[in-house]
Amino acid sequence: MKQADVVVVGGGPAGCAAALAAAGGGARVVLVDEQPDLGGHLRWRVAPIHGLEADLDGLPGVRVAAALAGRVAAAGVEVARGSVAWGLFEDNVVGVVEGENAYTLHAASVIVATGSTDRVLPFPGWTLPGVMTARAAQLFLHVHRVLPGRRVVVVGDGPEADEVANDIAVAGAEVVARVPGAAGLEAGGDREVEAVEVDGQVYAADTIVLALGRLPDPELALQARVETVFDEAAGAHVPRRDEHLTTSQPGLYVVGEAAGIVSVAEAMAEGRLAGLAAAGAPAGDIAAAREALEGLRTATPGDRALPVITTDVPVCLCRCEEVTLAAVRQAIAEGATTLDDVKRRTRAGMGICQGIYCLPAVAALLRDEAGVPAEEIVPMTARPPARAIPLSALTMLEE
Amino acid sequence: MPADEGAVESVPGDLRVRQHPVLGDLPPAAEVTIFVDDRPIPARAGEPIAAALLAAGIRVCRTMPNRGRPRGPFCGVGRCTDCLMTVDGEPSVRTCVTPVRDGQRIVTQRGLGAWEEGTA
Repeated sequence: MKQADVVVVGGGPAGCAAALAAAGGGARVVLVDEQPDLGGHLRWRVAPIHGLEADLDGLPGVRVAAALAGRVAAAGVEVARGSVAWGLFEDNVVGVVEGENAYTLHAASVIVATGSTDRVLPFPGWTLPGVMTARAAQLFLHVHRVLPGRRVVVVGDGPEADEVANDIAVAGAEVVARVPGAAGLEAGGDREVEAVEVDGQVYAADTIVLALGRLPDPELALQARVETVFDEAAGAHVPRRDEHLTTSQPGLYVVGEAAGIVSVAEAMAEGRLAGLAAAGAPAGDIAAAREALEGLRTATPGDRALPVITTDVPVCLCRCEEVTLAAVRQAIAEGATTLDDVKRRTRAGMGICQGIYCLPAVAALLRDEAGVPAEEIVPMTARPPARAIPLSALTMLEE
Repeated sequence: MPADEGAVESVPGDLRVRQHPVLGDLPPAAEVTIFVDDRPIPARAGEPIAAALLAAGIRVCRTMPNRGRPRGPFCGVGRCTDCLMTVDGEPSVRTCVTPVRDGQRIVTQRGLGAWEEGTA
């Protein structure tokens, strides 16, 4: 087992800021990130990022990502790239897999900065090739430099949808329609998307990009059975945190979008506060970081609350396990009242995505058809591994 | 889905983003050749398999085990497993996070796929 003072999981803006603050406070820091380079979602964004300190403010996401990676390298942080933190165990032990290698990390403090994922919703035809998330579209466009398609329908009415629609047009594909949400949407095609129908109007399109907002992804922290609280803006439960962003588990912090929908500036301010606290920095520095964070807090609109699932067309709801909307409805009619109930009865949420892509739809059905208030819909029981990892890697662990 | 058709170029033409106002010109990269259902496809060294396929207009990676419906890249970050293909005899490889290699053999996967002789 490797030892550190602080382990940070996730190399996006929050995780980089946390690692920098902790290292600046004199701690031995290991930063674990599953991507090939640091920067998180900034790596695949070209839109200007606002609200940052003067030398970064207004730069395209990709440049901010590169700047953060450079600072982390210069700060003496040990960076484990391409490394998956798949389990968080008792006493702040983190299981890490890098390719075929596996090891455990132990630290007095663990800062979970695992970010968010794209919120997606089912609609008829949404499993066809050609339907993809906004994140996938941005990765293909800006990192891999490939158009996701030629004629694209962008779904969503928030800032993410505006950004990706602009990205697609700037890169040379055509945005043939903007659609506010998944309701009334249908993808047609036998092998893949060939047409998109929106409330009766048909568009010739080969691609649908889902930009329905973000969903916090605190799975690693949930493995430690931290207390959660319902976040109205995220429409989901997130870890409950104290004023230093510590969870109910001693030494376990959650920062950035893993704990709610925040701006890049807020995510970085959260990371800095937790990093300083974890490194045991002077109380004055911690108080200043708290004050800086409070100054950045903005009211996040609650328009990402759970949608209403109206369609009764046969549709696959859980993509991994091929569970239909009808099967989930039946489970609820037969008495399921929690996400775990639905999972046990139907397998929805049991697949490799760990339920992150079916959660909003199942939660919406529980609210509307089982009458469970949204704030009482607690996350599925999280168990390792948080990601698909090779079984061979586990055989390398000592205990 | 008529899976027997194998890889089909459904979005024709060059889909590479060669110029970009923020990112600049597409940086040069060594060209490698991968074989998708025995068809040679050009790829940029280091890119994920799914990107090379998408650039060639190929988006169907697999069919599902239960209903046989086709899937292609959805999340792009290795979470959803819709882009699983059989790569060099190993089934269920996530092509969105697996880099290309010259001479790589990639097969459109049916269901859970199967290990090829001598690869396990």
